[in-house]
Amino acid sequence: MSALLTIRGLKKRHGERLLFDIDELSLDAASAYVLTGVNGVGKSTLLRVLAGLDSAQVDSVSFEGKPVALHPYPQLLRRAIVYVHQHPIMFSTSVAQNIGYGLIARGEAKARVASLVEEAMAWAGVGYLRDTDPARLSGGEKQRVALARARVLQPRLLLLDEPTANLDGAAREQVIALIPTLMEQGTTVVMACHDRDLIGLPGVRRLKLRDGRLEYRA
Amino acid sequence: MSLYDATAHAFALLFSGDAALWRIIWVSLKTSIIGLLLATPPAVLLGYAIAMHRFPGRRIVVWLAQCALSLPTVLIGLVLYLLLSRRGPLGPLEWLFSQSGIILGQFVVGLPVLLAFTLAAVQGLDARYAETARALGASRWRVMTTVLHEARYGVMAAVISGFGRVISEVGCALMVGGNIEGETRTITTAIALETSKGEFAQGIALGIVLVALALLMNGALMLLQGEAHAAGGRA
Repeated sequence: MSALLTIRGLKKRHGERLLFDIDELSLDAASAYVLTGVNGVGKSTLLRVLAGLDSAQVDSVSFEGKPVALHPYPQLLRRAIVYVHQHPIMFSTSVAQNIGYGLIARGEAKARVASLVEEAMAWAGVGYLRDTDPARLSGGEKQRVALARARVLQPRLLLLDEPTANLDGAAREQVIALIPTLMEQGTTVVMACHDRDLIGLPGVRRLKLRDGRLEYRA
Repeated sequence: MSLYDATAHAFALLFSGDAALWRIIWVSLKTSIIGLLLATPPAVLLGYAIAMHRFPGRRIVVWLAQCALSLPTVLIGLVLYLLLSRRGPLGPLEWLFSQSGIILGQFVVGLPVLLAFTLAAVQGLDARYAETARALGASRWRVMTTVLHEARYGVMAAVISGFGRVISEVGCALMVGGNIEGETRTITTAIALETSKGEFAQGIALGIVLVALALLMNGALMLLQGEAHAAGGRA
């Protein structure tokens, strides 16, 4: 399998404290990973660094074999990597406009945006929310809209921060059911999580962040 | 004249369409609205930029912006008077004792209010809005329009507070405008003058207009914020 993203010498400090010091982080193309570790170990921060939302110190970064920088965050990575918050926030427009936000930002034609948004809403099972005020969505619905909003951009790497945290019952199962279909379109998915059902999904590899080091588990 | 008589006379003046009175109201509204229209774009842009960026000296800039809120308008008037007077650096503009001068004054008086309120509104907004916009590939410009859209009720409150400050200030309009009848006489400068002449009815009539404007603007804001609450959004 070809390497999608490789980072060497990734260090993150919070003031004096060294949060993590990772010799090498290597993610393959079209693969799925869970990132585990106790609370406060820096799972979210690691994902945020990969998404260009937090800064960190790195020795080298290569994306699809090309050397890139993390600061300033290059357009190449911005288009390829999408991050989804643990508690996704909805823009106060409409559900459809939320899902189409990234496509509009990329300058896609209106007709194409409309058809891709339709497809994404059907995929996430949120078509019935089309005319609902996004502020009124439940936690599970917000998570599914956020996944659709990210998936519609067909990212090479999708970073999900605790996608099932604070969800239970049907809402949680609906989100878990979407994850394998994300992998099918050739997207590499990294999920920070504690959820055993996500960790146990077939084909998912495990990364563990412990004491500032990254361990690759079978 | 009793307060009752003066008030009754004031209403009679207002509804009789007294030309001089309505001219004063027109000058006030015109200079306030133009000053505010000119101040809003730079103030909102600056407020957004300060709220969103970390840079050395940022706290000092925020402190100065907050301080500018409580600057007495007569002091602003005094500085502008010196700048605009014939020997001042802005003298060649010949704006002293003109509506242009008052508009400049309203711009300077309104800008810090708009800036500080926009800064607070953007700073108080959930950081995930900007992060989500960036993560979905929005340009800097699009991140800004998205964030300002989410902070729109706060920005509207900024504009309304700015309007309240410029329409009601008297010091700067008096010093820079000169209270020239039919030209630079505004609601507030007229009230000061009429009261000193003992013409209370005219003063009260203008006061009623000022209060009506305040009620109107703040009522509009409350309606908008009420809708935001009903929709479950943030006011």
